[in-house]
Amino acid sequence: MKTDRSDNCRDWRLLLGAYALGDLPEEERAGLEAHLEGCPECRAEAESLDSVARLLPLADLDRFSHPAPQPSPDLGRQIAATIGNERRAGRRRRRWRAGLALSGAVAAAAAVLAIVVLPGGGGGQPEQHVKFGSLPGGIQIYATLEPHAYGTEIHMYVKGVRSGTLCRVYLRGPRGERVPAGTFTYRWGDDSTAVLSSALDLSRTRAIGVHAGNRTFVAPVDAAGATARAKSNQEDLT
Amino acid sequence: MQSGALKRERDVREAYAAHSGELYGFAMRSLGDSGLAEEAVQETFVRAWRAGDRFDPQIGSLRTWLFAILRNVVIDLGRARAVRPGVAEGGIEPSVEPLEQALLAWQIEEAMRRIGEDHRHVLVETHYRGRPYAEVAAELGVPEGTVKSRVYYGLRALRVVLEEMGYED
Repeated sequence: MKTDRSDNCRDWRLLLGAYALGDLPEEERAGLEAHLEGCPECRAEAESLDSVARLLPLADLDRFSHPAPQPSPDLGRQIAATIGNERRAGRRRRRWRAGLALSGAVAAAAAVLAIVVLPGGGGGQPEQHVKFGSLPGGIQIYATLEPHAYGTEIHMYVKGVRSGTLCRVYLRGPRGERVPAGTFTYRWGDDSTAVLSSALDLSRTRAIGVHAGNRTFVAPVDAAGATARAKSNQEDLT
Repeated sequence: MQSGALKRERDVREAYAAHSGELYGFAMRSLGDSGLAEEAVQETFVRAWRAGDRFDPQIGSLRTWLFAILRNVVIDLGRARAVRPGVAEGGIEPSVEPLEQALLAWQIEEAMRRIGEDHRHVLVETHYRGRPYAEVAAELGVPEGTVKSRVYYGLRALRVVLEEMGYED
């Protein structure tokens, strides 16, 4: 009897798909519904398939008829590079802050001035740690400039400007020319460092500027890596 | 994966290998632009890495966590794009339905791609194209009852795939 019941159920169940989609002819539908009345297992299966069938209209045939779109092969490498840069920048910032703490007394005497040159960078070349001075209350801007064959890698840390402010960064060359170094958007609560680059060699860089909102902040860069001697200015854009 | 294990770059690479395709597919469906979709996926993994300490596999799977981050990223990008005209690329239009519905629709479309060809074919022809079962059966050279049974097994396969993708009724 059990086998007969199972075979009977199997035959009815094969109709449950068309039934769930509302495609079963009247005669078959009536017979199936009579079976469902007395068969809780098949009724549960019918309800389960019905919940799937109700989802089908949400899907767009044109979309799933095509293969799933794939990201470019470079995306994984880009993400790995971004995360690697952030991690290295985080280490630099921690080291830079530690350096600042050690030189706190000197920095206080220098007042508006702060370029700290610490050993580091690849190949023995010094990276430049720049703090922007004379900033309005609450605003902090730090930068680390690192020499590369292609130019200068810049790690910018900004805090205290309005969230969502677009920041444009540039380096200033020996003749006063501005060489763009990219843009980033400051977000409140984001303590990360923006990683930018410029084609200008660090050895030829005389200053770094950040245009944020309607103001531009500039800090000199001591490209020779000599004793810190810098002044930070706040320029008005006209 | 252990709690906080996404802090290591190697784990991010493994997570990318496992989930980037799906994340990109949903981002592409929601944003309709390959550049924005890649930006969304990149931002998702960067945010996941920054917040890796907060990932707890006891609460949910890594996949679910990444999709939750992507959902927020898509909202952010959608807001940013709201001031710009929409961009369509490669014939794929950006989704205009609410994000939750877009996610569900994407899951169903992805599930339809993953079920067997025989099952997908009968569901497409009978349900999406509205063709009579007898006509589809004649075209395939099989009895009409076989088309009905394939519709049944097709829906069952869809249910299994959706469950694997985390769908809960």
